[in-house]
Amino acid sequence: MALLADLVQNTLDGIALGSTYALLALGFTLIFGVLRRANLAYGPAIMFGAYAATWASLNFQAGLLVLAVVAVSATVFAGAYVERLCFAPHRKGAAAAAMVASFALWMQLEELAMLAMPRHLYPFPALYEGGPLSLGPFSLRVEALAMLLAAIAVCLFLWKLLYATRFGIAVRAVIDDPRAAGLAGIDVPRIFMLVFALASAIGGIAGFLVAASQEQVTPMLGMWSTLKGMLAMMLGGLGSLPGAVLGGLALGLLEAHAHWFLGPQLRDFAAYLLLFALLALRPPWMNTRSAS
Amino acid sequence: MLTVRELVTAYGKIEALKGVSLDVAAGSITCLLGPNGAGKTTLMMTIAGVLRRRKGSIKFLESEISGLQPDSIVRRGIALVPENRLVFPSMTVLENLQAGAYQRKDPIEKDLDNVFARFPRLKERASQQAGTLSGGEQQMLAVGRALMSRPRLLLMDEPSLGLAPLVVEEIFRTIAELHRDGTTIFLVEQNAHMALKVAQHFFLMEQGRVSFSGNPGSLAEDEVIRRAYLGSAR
Amino acid sequence: MDEYALGVLTNIGLFSFVALSAYLLLLAGELSFGQQAFFGVGAYGAGIATAMLGLSLPLAILIAMLLGALAAALVGLPTLRLRGLYFAMATLAAAEMFRILFELLHWQVLVEGEPVGPDGTQGFRGIRWIFERGVEAEGFLAMVWTLLAAVLLLFFLVERSKLGATIRALGEDPALVGALGIDVDRFKLGIAAAAGALAALGGALFAHHNTYIEPRNFDIMLGVHSLAYALIGGLGTALGPLLGVVFDLGFLEASRVLQEYRMIVFGGLVALLLAWRPRGMLDERVVHWLKARFS
Repeated sequence: MALLADLVQNTLDGIALGSTYALLALGFTLIFGVLRRANLAYGPAIMFGAYAATWASLNFQAGLLVLAVVAVSATVFAGAYVERLCFAPHRKGAAAAAMVASFALWMQLEELAMLAMPRHLYPFPALYEGGPLSLGPFSLRVEALAMLLAAIAVCLFLWKLLYATRFGIAVRAVIDDPRAAGLAGIDVPRIFMLVFALASAIGGIAGFLVAASQEQVTPMLGMWSTLKGMLAMMLGGLGSLPGAVLGGLALGLLEAHAHWFLGPQLRDFAAYLLLFALLALRPPWMNTRSAS
Repeated sequence: MLTVRELVTAYGKIEALKGVSLDVAAGSITCLLGPNGAGKTTLMMTIAGVLRRRKGSIKFLESEISGLQPDSIVRRGIALVPENRLVFPSMTVLENLQAGAYQRKDPIEKDLDNVFARFPRLKERASQQAGTLSGGEQQMLAVGRALMSRPRLLLMDEPSLGLAPLVVEEIFRTIAELHRDGTTIFLVEQNAHMALKVAQHFFLMEQGRVSFSGNPGSLAEDEVIRRAYLGSAR
Repeated sequence: MDEYALGVLTNIGLFSFVALSAYLLLLAGELSFGQQAFFGVGAYGAGIATAMLGLSLPLAILIAMLLGALAAALVGLPTLRLRGLYFAMATLAAAEMFRILFELLHWQVLVEGEPVGPDGTQGFRGIRWIFERGVEAEGFLAMVWTLLAAVLLLFFLVERSKLGATIRALGEDPALVGALGIDVDRFKLGIAAAAGALAALGGALFAHHNTYIEPRNFDIMLGVHSLAYALIGGLGTALGPLLGVVFDLGFLEASRVLQEYRMIVFGGLVALLLAWRPRGMLDERVVHWLKARFS
């Protein structure tokens, strides 16, 4: 049955795509969970990292591992800049100012990257030179598998970090109640900074993998990462890390199927419609309390 | 041990503390009484570093601590058991206690054992999520969490709030025990009756100022309770 | 006045409408990333009305505003109970859905032998009503700013009235408004519709100024920009959003030296400004101070 074959292939593609979205959503959720704010400059920081890696690859012929390190470091650096300028000054105020400030830096980072590298497209070294794997009648790109493995690895790492270390206890305490965490002796501003850096690093990994899988970077990476990350984060229930992963996977699956059956525009429409419908209906996993 | 002088804390234009001065002697149980809205919680929060003072000074063991961040205050040896407990609801009892010991670099097993010995019910529920505990158990957890940082001065804001009378008695027994074991305690209480039984010294706060200071015997108990609950006679 | 300056001034006027639209919602306590959708509805609606249905511009504007209000109510109704980031994301999703619908809209009629109408991602050209009637750039500028002045006057009157106080109360303490016996849901919906109509008015004028519109004009960037203008300019007065627009379009666009680095400078300035003044340049405190000074 051709339909079944399509469904299975789409599901394979969707899981791979969803892994990327899961990584992006994890980064957003970490920042939101701890700071209770959405960071609109998250995607642009990732783009900044990917562009930095691209620049390194164009000028230094660096190997993939070096490029990954460059991407992650540059993203963390951009993230720290955003944290200091947009979130540190607005700790006690309303979230709106922080969010708009992060939007302003979104514009700034994007333009910085585009000024340094103005072309609409830059090549990026391939993650894997060979062709896709065949699983019977289905194909799975090795890059997609790499993305999935990276997402799993990041999830396991986060799980260990948050549930088996002293640092993890501090982070979860801050997520639960920043004021009580301070009273318990936790240096809350430092936790904010470290979590921000962690989220940026995860974003940097995602950015590197996307660039290497697609063998190119474009200026759209910033907006794309922000949109997909936020969509996935909200689908899975704001502020929940497992939810971020599930939301990312769900979004990936939805997009893969919708793209195949409905085309690219309706694919995006379907994703937005799903989010809007979920927000309007407010199912129990979207605890619509702590968002501003 | 703790010296507060002319402390002023404000929310925008409204001054909640209008120049508070008091002393807490080392090794004592000192109690702060007063009606709702007098500023008692504001005072505790300012000492703990959560609220910033506008004027005045807070000295702990001769050094100035006003203006420090809450975690630095914990490091100096002051721990606050806040009003409404503020436990970490998604974390287990054990994790809550571990959070309280975050500052500590040395092993904490002995302190955990001590807390569990003092509060056997917490030991039973060690892997339970703190949000599912009863009010009294959360209060014990909040106290245990504060104890994990080995404070020299323990601040307690309304420990008996919303608890059944038997539980309240248990709490105050614990307070007396802690005091016997060497912790200085500065306590805010609505339940003036219970507080005056354990405290050696007390202050009465009304409308942002300290209006009376003395020992339990120095003011007839009825008068204190009346003023604590209803404010000064007009 | 040279053509470039005319263009900048007209654009300032046009985008002030959508900035004011975001501002109105901000006053009522809601962050919207989606006002650009109604700007687009107004643009397409008015364009279709004049270029394809042969209606006059004033009528087209009215139709556009009605459509904008309806669209806003359509989005507002299911999202009434949402707050904060949830509401913001819902408006973003809705606006993107509108934009995709514009991309899918193919409807053309023959006007003097030529096909005219929205052609999906290719856009909608030929919205030439004002040019066919010999309205010059100065004339159109005057029209835009007259309408804007009328809107601002309306805002000033509302701010001084009980309605204005209720709107601000909604932003600060919604429970209080409910306790006053006002149907909060209907009120919020009304505000949303008004904001939608306002954005649509801007969109209608925008379409006729540019003569060509495409779905990309109404993307997230416009939406977040509008919100930014309102927040940067200040929430103390309706002049705030205007100031925000002037700040971006006027100051930086006009200083052509900076044009290449416009976003870099603007972005950094905005972040610094917000760190210093979280409620914008003309926030409530400044406005109170100014009023006290001058009365």
